[in-house]
Amino acid sequence: MGLSTQRASNKRRSSLNRSGKPLSQGSGLSGLRPAGRAVLFGRAAGAFALAATILLAVALPLSAQSPEGQLWEKDAASRVQAVALSEDGNRVAVGRRDNSLQLFDGSGELLWPFEAGNSILGVDISPDGQWLAVASEDRFVYLLDGEGNELWKFKAARPMNNAAVAGDGSLVAATSDDLSVYVFDNQGNLLWQEELGIGVRAVDVYGSGEKARVVLGSDDGLITIYNRDGRDLLRAWLDYSVVSVSVTPNGARILAGAGDGSAILLNGSNGNQIWSFRAEDTVKSVSLASNGASALVGSEDGSAYLLDGGGMLMHRFRQESEVLSVGLSGDGSRLSIGTVSGAARVYDRAAALRGAARSSAQRQRTLIAVVGVIALLLLAAVWAARNTAAGQQLWQRSATGPLGVMQTMWSARLSYLLILPTLALLLTFNYYPAFSGLYHAFTEWSPGVRTEWVGLANFQSLLENRFFLSGFRNAAILVVVSIAKTMTMPLLVAEFIFNLRNRFSQYWFRTLFVVPIVLPAVVEILVWNNIYDPAIGLLNESLKLVGLEQLTRVWYGDASVALGSIIFIGVPWVNAFALLIFYGGLISISNEIIDASRVDGASTWRRFWSIDLPLLMGQVKLLLILNFINAVQTFELVFLTTGGGPGASTYTPALELYYKAMRMDRMGIASAIGMILFFIILAGTIINMRFVSSSTEYEA
Amino acid sequence: MAAVRNGQGSEGAATVAVRGESGAAADQPILTSGAALSILRLTGGQLLLYAVLLILLIVTFIPIVYLVALSLKDNGQIYGRFWSMPDPYRWENFALGSLAIWRAVLNSILTSGTSTAATVLLASLSGYVFARHRFPGKELIYTGILALLMIPPILTLIPAYVLILNMGLENTYWALILPWTSGGQVFALLLCRSFFATLPEEFFDAARIDGASELQSFAQIAVPLSAPILVTVAVVRLVTTYNQFMWPLVVISSPKKQVVAVALTQFTSEIGVTDLGPQMAGYILASIPLIVLFSFGMRHYVRGLTAGGLKA
Repeated sequence: MGLSTQRASNKRRSSLNRSGKPLSQGSGLSGLRPAGRAVLFGRAAGAFALAATILLAVALPLSAQSPEGQLWEKDAASRVQAVALSEDGNRVAVGRRDNSLQLFDGSGELLWPFEAGNSILGVDISPDGQWLAVASEDRFVYLLDGEGNELWKFKAARPMNNAAVAGDGSLVAATSDDLSVYVFDNQGNLLWQEELGIGVRAVDVYGSGEKARVVLGSDDGLITIYNRDGRDLLRAWLDYSVVSVSVTPNGARILAGAGDGSAILLNGSNGNQIWSFRAEDTVKSVSLASNGASALVGSEDGSAYLLDGGGMLMHRFRQESEVLSVGLSGDGSRLSIGTVSGAARVYDRAAALRGAARSSAQRQRTLIAVVGVIALLLLAAVWAARNTAAGQQLWQRSATGPLGVMQTMWSARLSYLLILPTLALLLTFNYYPAFSGLYHAFTEWSPGVRTEWVGLANFQSLLENRFFLSGFRNAAILVVVSIAKTMTMPLLVAEFIFNLRNRFSQYWFRTLFVVPIVLPAVVEILVWNNIYDPAIGLLNESLKLVGLEQLTRVWYGDASVALGSIIFIGVPWVNAFALLIFYGGLISISNEIIDASRVDGASTWRRFWSIDLPLLMGQVKLLLILNFINAVQTFELVFLTTGGGPGASTYTPALELYYKAMRMDRMGIASAIGMILFFIILAGTIINMRFVSSSTEYEA
Repeated sequence: MAAVRNGQGSEGAATVAVRGESGAAADQPILTSGAALSILRLTGGQLLLYAVLLILLIVTFIPIVYLVALSLKDNGQIYGRFWSMPDPYRWENFALGSLAIWRAVLNSILTSGTSTAATVLLASLSGYVFARHRFPGKELIYTGILALLMIPPILTLIPAYVLILNMGLENTYWALILPWTSGGQVFALLLCRSFFATLPEEFFDAARIDGASELQSFAQIAVPLSAPILVTVAVVRLVTTYNQFMWPLVVISSPKKQVVAVALTQFTSEIGVTDLGPQMAGYILASIPLIVLFSFGMRHYVRGLTAGGLKA
């Protein structure tokens, strides 16, 4: 970095800045201005409208679809906390929070109900459907026979949270909130009990008779296999709390669901991990088929995942709310899912997979749709040539009717060929998503499952969504603050540097202020996270150092200062980009003007207001619009710092969009948020453009 | 006091430079204005400017100095002696940090590089066509492309994600390269077209007379003449894509394919490194490609952002 070369580059830049102006005035954007603008906008609007209609027409047939492979569904107001299936899937037990346990046959006919003293927390059914173990919040574990008769019950000190029964009913194991596990024989005699001293709710039983084994998973991540007498045979450690376990009847494979959202398959003979699958949120329940060749994992993210023997995802059953419990029949052909919103659903696996295959056919349809749109846009171009004023002119020029145009087009085929890749990409990845977003904002959208037109319901639900509303308030604050930040500090620093009398220090100050641009944007946020760290952050340590200990706090965790902390990031906000733009604007102000003002005796202050600022209006407006567009879409800044919390205090609309789409799978609502932001940005841009054209007289 | 003292240290050079220059600065006004009083007044004002700029500079650099200081400490030093200098310097933090993120950096370079190359190629080709060719529907298509400037990424985020899912491209490099190539073209095309339009027609006439084909005059006349603008497009696109966060976060789930901006935020959870030192070292290492890029491309970057903007 020799000094002389840098100086040279400095000069070169300033000259480029000066010559850059006429260049950009001859650019495409200026083609949009005065005379041709109305026509061009009209044409663009026509193209937009046409493409929108086409896309609507293409998208509509995709919308009419029902949930694939569902056999039947039982809805009630009470959440389904436990489901279990027998070997052949012809017995389905559903336990709810309203104390009821119901047994259905394979077609959804109610066989018998059973009522416990409090909500049902766990249920297990033997492969032949002859034995049911039920754990309830009334502190009892019940053993029922296939007709729903209560054989015995046993009371613990605290609610029983889960239960399991051996295939022949000879062994019943139950876990309780008193941090213990209880094991009984068929007659209800307590064989043994162990106080684990840690939360335990994952239990399953395999084998039969004397060979029956209990598999237990606890909150410290330990999975233990006990024999009938309570001796532990094998221990395996996982990294997270074990929420649910399921084991094959021969004990060869153990599937464990963990609190971090993973489902892990273990080898039952040595405890080695075979594969692991990761859901998007905590796993609540797992179930394994008898042969270990398929597994079902229910998660708080609102999905049940059907996995094959190698842990690969075969199908994702999306539900409208958290999945609390899942059951898989022994042969893996039927599956049942119980959700928080009170639905118990039974699916036929083969039909569901066929449905998935059909949705891959839908992919092809998407492709065809895109190609179709391209073709139709070409047609639109022809139409425009025939019916619009500019098109008519072209028509006249080419003189000889449709054939003439075709000939011109054919002779220009190389031009079309050269822009074809560009157009194809833009249509696929920019135009299509834009219209798809605008359309799907009015739908309940679960890609690959169903798309349903719901009108304005998404927008209505947003009006009641406190995260979104709070996000709007925060976005407004962030927009104002971000504009204020960029309009003050960088302009001030640019003006200061510009007023330094020494070229050398001008150069060094400018360079040093720009250096932080080499840090990726994410790194800056992460470093500030560290500065705000409550335990060992620079800010709290500095406050302690100067004796202001009472001011230290959890900066991101305190609702009253969280947003302020986020805004404070990057202090003193000398944004390198804005600085360079302002500085470039200042050095392109001609020396004559400045000298003239000096001769007239204007003070620096006066010069700033009367000369520099008016001549910088172009830069001001550029930064104004860029900052506005970016601030409306603020995402990283909150996602990486507070994640929107505490409560809803730092949510932004973009963050809510991300959460709705990625965590809750509400693509329709997410699209609606995107659409709202789009219109806000559009309005802001138009207002700004008006403002620009009214004040360009300052230039020249 | 480590961070603060460090901060002053790094500014020390600047202070010295300023002091060395203030003598020269005092000379200069004599050449322009004679009155001694006004020299004094001006120097006073200049000193104030220097003071304010220096303070702002120091505050600006505090996070960077803090980052560097932490990257050279181990957890014991950070928690035990927060304010002291790193002692001993834990250079191995950089080795640990690089182990954790080298793959993500490579992913970033690969995806940013590929999509930038494709963007420059496609945008220059179509920019050339739009600037130099005449064909029916040209203005209509061009307006249609420019209209995309009005569409913010937040609108297309979810539908584009679903499109990627439907194409079966999620969790592949293509999920990054294709949309980035496509999205980058609009602005690049604008720059390229306006630049190509300024090239004198005579060059192309001469080439045509000499029997050059369209592609030849593009490759051998237009591209060499417009190298500066193409470099500008490339630098802007590289920086922009390297900094992308939300899109990779949405479409890439495998840590092995993740780009650096997202990988940095998952540092602790995915790789199991909980020490702050290596983490901070990783942040610094992640900046190296940008440092390299900016050390020769800053000029082009700034020009790309200012030219053809909404200012005109």
